[in-house]
Parts: sequence; structure tokens; C-alpha cells
Amino acid sequence: MSPAWNPAAWTRRQQIERGLVAAVLVLMIVFPATGISAYWSHQILIRTFLFGVAAASLIFLFAYGGMVSLAQTALFGIAGVILGNLATKGGPGGTSKGLHLGWDPTVALVLAIVLTTVIGLIFGAVAARSAGIYFLMITLTYSVIATYTLGQVTKISGFSGIGGINRYTPGWIGNILDHPNRLYYIALGVAVFVYALIRYIVRTPFGLTLQGVRDEPIRMSSLGYNVPLHRTLAFGFAAFIASLAGVLYAWWSGQVAPGNVDLPETINLLVMAVIGGLVRIEGAWLGAFAFILMDNYITSSTHIPGLGFGGTLFGGSFNTIVGVIFLVIVLVSPDGLLGIWGRLFEGRYLIRGRGAPPTIEPTIEAPEASQ
Amino acid sequence: MRRVTLRSWKTAAVLVMACAAVALGANGSLAASHAKVVKVAIMTDCKGAFAFGYDFDIGGAQGAFAQFAHGVTKNHAKPSAGMTGIHVGSTQVKIVGYGCGNDTVPLAITETKRLMEQLNADVEIGPLSGDEAVATANYAKAHPTKTFIIGTAGSQDPTMQIAPKNMFRYHGDGAQWNAGIGELAYKKLHWRKAAIIMDDYSFGWTSAAGMIADFCAVGGDIVKRVFPPLNTTDYSSWVRQLPPPNQVDGYFSAVGGTGTSAMLKAFEQAYGKLNPKQWIGNLFFGFLGADKVVAPKLVGSYVGGFGNNPGVHYPKVDAYRAFMTKLYPKIPADDGFTYNYYMAAKALVQGLQKSGGAVGAKLQASLPRSINGPFQISNGGFVKLDSRRQAIQDQYQLQLVKNKDGSVSPQVVAYVPAVDQSFGGLFKPTSPPPGRTQPPCKRVHTPWQGKIQLVVNGKITKQVLK
Repeated sequence: MSPAWNPAAWTRRQQIERGLVAAVLVLMIVFPATGISAYWSHQILIRTFLFGVAAASLIFLFAYGGMVSLAQTALFGIAGVILGNLATKGGPGGTSKGLHLGWDPTVALVLAIVLTTVIGLIFGAVAARSAGIYFLMITLTYSVIATYTLGQVTKISGFSGIGGINRYTPGWIGNILDHPNRLYYIALGVAVFVYALIRYIVRTPFGLTLQGVRDEPIRMSSLGYNVPLHRTLAFGFAAFIASLAGVLYAWWSGQVAPGNVDLPETINLLVMAVIGGLVRIEGAWLGAFAFILMDNYITSSTHIPGLGFGGTLFGGSFNTIVGVIFLVIVLVSPDGLLGIWGRLFEGRYLIRGRGAPPTIEPTIEAPEASQ
Repeated sequence: MRRVTLRSWKTAAVLVMACAAVALGANGSLAASHAKVVKVAIMTDCKGAFAFGYDFDIGGAQGAFAQFAHGVTKNHAKPSAGMTGIHVGSTQVKIVGYGCGNDTVPLAITETKRLMEQLNADVEIGPLSGDEAVATANYAKAHPTKTFIIGTAGSQDPTMQIAPKNMFRYHGDGAQWNAGIGELAYKKLHWRKAAIIMDDYSFGWTSAAGMIADFCAVGGDIVKRVFPPLNTTDYSSWVRQLPPPNQVDGYFSAVGGTGTSAMLKAFEQAYGKLNPKQWIGNLFFGFLGADKVVAPKLVGSYVGGFGNNPGVHYPKVDAYRAFMTKLYPKIPADDGFTYNYYMAAKALVQGLQKSGGAVGAKLQASLPRSINGPFQISNGGFVKLDSRRQAIQDQYQLQLVKNKDGSVSPQVVAYVPAVDQSFGGLFKPTSPPPGRTQPPCKRVHTPWQGKIQLVVNGKITKQVLK
């Protein structure tokens, strides 16, 4: 048996982490059937899965390509808008905005993913020769371009966006409004697929080269690798992942509007990734879960007087509260919640870990020798 | 080989149990839903351009609950502090939450989902603004067992093109509110060519559509349409796209919220002092706080209505004002935000009376198709709903006047009875919704053409606008 699939060959940490991941996965699979909370199934967890996918595209670019992209939210929104324009129908009782071409939803779905990936490749090709703050600024520009293009071009969206998308799902998925568990399992399946795909990709020659490009771009270039091409392809791959999240969001929300891709939403996705931990893909879903919980329950909290909207604490502002929590997490653990988890194992949580820069874990861990 | 210790498995188990416990806690509210309680959510904006309307809206809705359903307010100075004791017959009405939007679609949907699915509301009163109502209409279509009564949003789409069967609106849309204003411009100010600047979203478009349709119907021409995005702060580049004052007879404005004042300021910087006879605004010239900043610069300008008639007195409207002022002294009863939410909640109370506390389809069938409105005069004082559950409502066009104390306020100058959403067939479910180029400027016959009654010193006269 390969060491990767042999629990006996795992380290103690691997055993605990993989056991925990398996337990959470089992819990997620059975959760809707338990009937504990439809709201949690269809709002909290579906959102966690799909925003986790979007955050995973951001973390993939950072952790394995060394690129902090602010364009992932834009690509997420572009996929939703393409799907909305192609799949919805107009006329009395239909949606009132967008092109509402009324195409087959499966065709619309495929085109939304393909076109978004192509746009991602174009974005990536333009940004690939820059790095650091310049790369960040270029991708921020993509986000702003997307927001204003969708807002200003009323034929395809306008500030109102496109609504009723969740009434036009492919026949093989069926009616997700009457059967929201279908969307739950699709979102869960996509999340697992994306996680596995990223784990696979980073172990391929392309993934290993990308990590080389991340660490030593000049050396990799000297060795004959095409650095911009690898970065472009990585950006395209991340766009593909973001498009999956965008499609899921359009089905979950039913609406996609420029407000989904504006600067606050772009920052929110970055916050999710940072809260979870930018160094490991798992952090995407952990960060999304933590953020969505805060978003949901601080907003409506009536347990602490003055905390919710209209309250007096922090001016009743949800963003202030999230900001404070974000600040605490980043100060305590610069590499997010997963960093805290890592420090628990490294036994230097209280003293040595403080202030240490985030570390990128080696992608391929040498199997521990049997003892 | 290392072995997994008991302690590590314990940690994993505790974490999994903690997740389950949180989920169970979140579900706690569902367990108590067996008693006969109708859960109502009030969706409004607490952020963005219309945040100032938060307590107006909540105050309006709760005013109706206090007047017709025994509601007891927790704080007379702050409606959002809550209301208890609401009941219709033996049915308790519980306000489960106030939605906090920011006039954008994503937050409207997130908040509506929170109210309807997490807090499990049966009925939503709201939302506040145009795009939010379009999004909510699409949401309503997908959730037919829930009932939606629009708070004060004025986009046309929710009850014209989308028109879900579980959505009701007991006030006019943005176009209806401006019925008659184009004819006033044509006949009183002798405008023939005008330009229009409108917020680039559903309400701005609908409001502008009313002005355009009404002005073009009598023979006017709109020579330029400019549409800045909502929440623009610097309007200088937008007003520069308008023709200068010597090239048009006047300007219609459908710029709202915090943008109205900023837009007019940019216009002054570009073209000099404002000429009130060259400006007609929608409700944002006269209501919603803009009257303090905007109105003093435009004394004499005509203003589109809001379905209400400030300054006009007769018993039922005075009774409404007296009740609301006593309940919430700081909330303006004459404001459309307050009044429209009041009407929505009043309709809900009547609907629950008829349905015996049932919600869903039975409540939707029981919601009144005709309801007595304090500001309504025609049709025996009853606002009627059309076949798409949209109000056919009296409209009152206004003019900004200076009061003896130096303040400036809107005064009713014209009365347009029973305005329907279609403008006599111009707007149809099959026609495109209002937009940047919709409707086209064309001469048509509106039902009220040549029949607009003048209002003098707060009295509706038999004299028609000529």
C-alpha cells in the first residue's frame, strides 16, 4: 500500500488531521439527512462550500504560485453573470434584466465555466510578468473593471444584476428550489473535487514547476522554464475554480449583480482566506465557515444588547466587529486559524510562535520512516 | 510506528460534537414554531444612500400594528427598539427581525434569506429600494409559501414584468408617483425640450420613466438622458453631459438619496446658480431629509409626489398624523417612507383578520384588494390593487414653498386621481422595464391628461390644469 493511503505510515499529526477531515466530511454528508437545521444546510454550509471554493482559488495562487490575486471575486461574478444571461428567460413572469437568452442551462453552465477560464487566462497573461504589489494592483484593477463593466453595461447586467437564475438549472440537476439538498450535495461535491484537484495538481510536474517559479523565478527562468506561461496557466486554473464557485453562487442566491464583485466583496474573500490561513488549501473552507458564521450571527445577535444592527456597540457595525476579530486572529496567528492549529502541534504556541512569519509547508512530505 | 493516542481522538470527537451543538443551537428557534404565531420581518436599509429611512420604515409599519393590532412600542423615540404584544384576534404577530440592506442586490438577498429562512418569517414587509425589490420579487417567485408586501420600493419590475403571485404593493411605483409632473412642466412652465438625469438603477429608471412618459405624452421632448451610478459622490462629469441651461427649457432629476444634493452642487459649479423654474425633481427634492439641503436652493420648483399630500387636511389624514405623531414624535408621518410601510402593515393586519391567522396561500388570498388609505381620496378613499397586486393610487404633485418661519417644504399643487401602473397601457408586462432608454419619448394619451385638478391652499379645486 502506498504510504499516502496507509494510516500506519502517517505521522501523529497526519492521523489526527486526516481523521478529523474524514469525520467532518462524514458529518457534512449526513448533515441534511439528520434534519437538524435546514437553514444551516442550505444557507450556512452551502455558502461555506462555495465561498470556500472561491477562497481556495485565491489560496492556490498564493500558496503555490506566490501570487496574491484580488481578481478571484471578479471571475466568480463573471461566471454567474454569463450563466444568468444565457440561461434565464425574459417576458412576463421571467427575469427582467440581462440578455435572458433562454439557452439550455447545461450549455449555459459549460459556457460560463469555459468563458470565465478563458477570461482568467487573458487576465493572467497580462499580469504574469509582474509580481508583488504590482501584481496585486493589476488584479485589483480587474476587480474594478468587472464591477463597472457589469454596472455600466445594462444589456448584460446593470447595477440591478440578473435575477431568477436558480429557476433555470440543468435537467440532470432538477429543481433546486424545491429540492435544495441537491444544491447542497453539488456544492459539497464541488468543494471535495476542487480540494482533491488542487492537491493533485500541485504534485504534478506543472505544480512542482509552479512552486519553483514561486520560490526562485529567476533561477527557474535560467533553467529554461517559461515563468510567465506557468503563472498564466495557474491563473487560468484558478479562474476555472472561481467559475465553479460563481455558478454555485448564482444557483444558491438566484441573483448576481455588480455588488457581488465590488471592492468590499473582494476584500471579504481575501479576509476569508487570511482567517483560514493562506498557506494550506483547507484554510479556504475554514476561513469561509468562520466568516459566514460571523456574518450571519453577529448581524442578527440579540443576545448581547447593542451588538446587532442598529445597536450601539461598535456603532452597530458588523464590519467593525469582523475587523476586530480579523485583527485578533492575524495578531495571534499571522497564518490564520490553521496556523494556530499548527502551533498546537509544534508546541510553541505561547512564546516562540508569536510574530513568526507565515511558513509555507513543503508540498511533498517525505514519509516518515517506520519506527 | 506511532500510534494514535486516546487524547487526540478525544479532541477530534469534541470538535465534531461542538459543530453539532452549534447547529442544534441554531435550530432552536424552529422548535418553538408550533404555537399560533405569525412571524413578520421588516426589511429596510440601515446602510447606504437610504440608511436614514431605517426608523421611518420600521416606525411606519409598527404604527399600523399599534393602531390596528394592539402593538406596544418599546421606545417612542426609536422604533427599531421593537414592539411587543401585537395580535390579530387570537393570532400573535411576532416581529422576528429587521433586515438591514444597503440598496444593493447581494445584501438584500442575504438579508431576505436570513429573515425568511433563519428567522423563519412567514411575511416580509419590505424592501426599501428599487433594485432590492427586483431581487426580492425573484426570490418571492421561488418561495411561493412566503408572503411579501413591498415596503416603499418604487421599481416597476416587481409587479409588472416579474409579478410573483405572493408579492403585493399598496403604494405607487416611481413612475406613478410622477404622474402629472410632465404635464405641469409643459403647461405651467412651458417646457418643450428637457434633459433628464437619473440614478442608474431600477428606481431611478422607473421614476424617470414617469417623468418622460408624462412629459412626452403632452408633446414635450427629452433631448438628453444622463444616468450616473447610484452612490456617486462626484457628479461633475455627469452634469457636464447635460446640455447647458440655454439649450433646454429645463431638467428633470431622478437622482436620489445622498446624491441629490451632490448632483445639484456639481451643476451649480458647472453652470452657475440654480434656476428653480428650470428644475423639476422626483420625491427626493422634497422628502427624506433632502428638503433641508436641496429645497432651500429650489424654492418654486415643482416636485414629483410620493402618494401623500403634505399640508392637506381632512379628518382621516389628520387622524393618521395625530396617531403617528403621538406614537413616534420624531418620525414624520407625512413622509412616504413612513406612510408606505404603514399601509403595508395595515394590509397585513386586515389579511390576517380575514385568513384567521393562516399564512401562505390563504393569507395571499385574504390580503385586501382594496384598502382605506389616509391619503387616498378617489374611489371612496380606498386604494385598489390591480390584477398584478399593484396599487392604483391617487397622486399629488408638489411645489417647494418658503414658509413664514423661513423653512422650505413641499406643498401640494395638483391632484391626479387613481393613477394606475400601466399609464393607461403604455407600460405592459410584455414591454421592457424602464431603463436608460426606456420608455421612448412618444406622444400618447394618459388617462389623467387634461384632468389634473389644481390644489390651492390645501384644497383640491374643480379647476383643471390648463
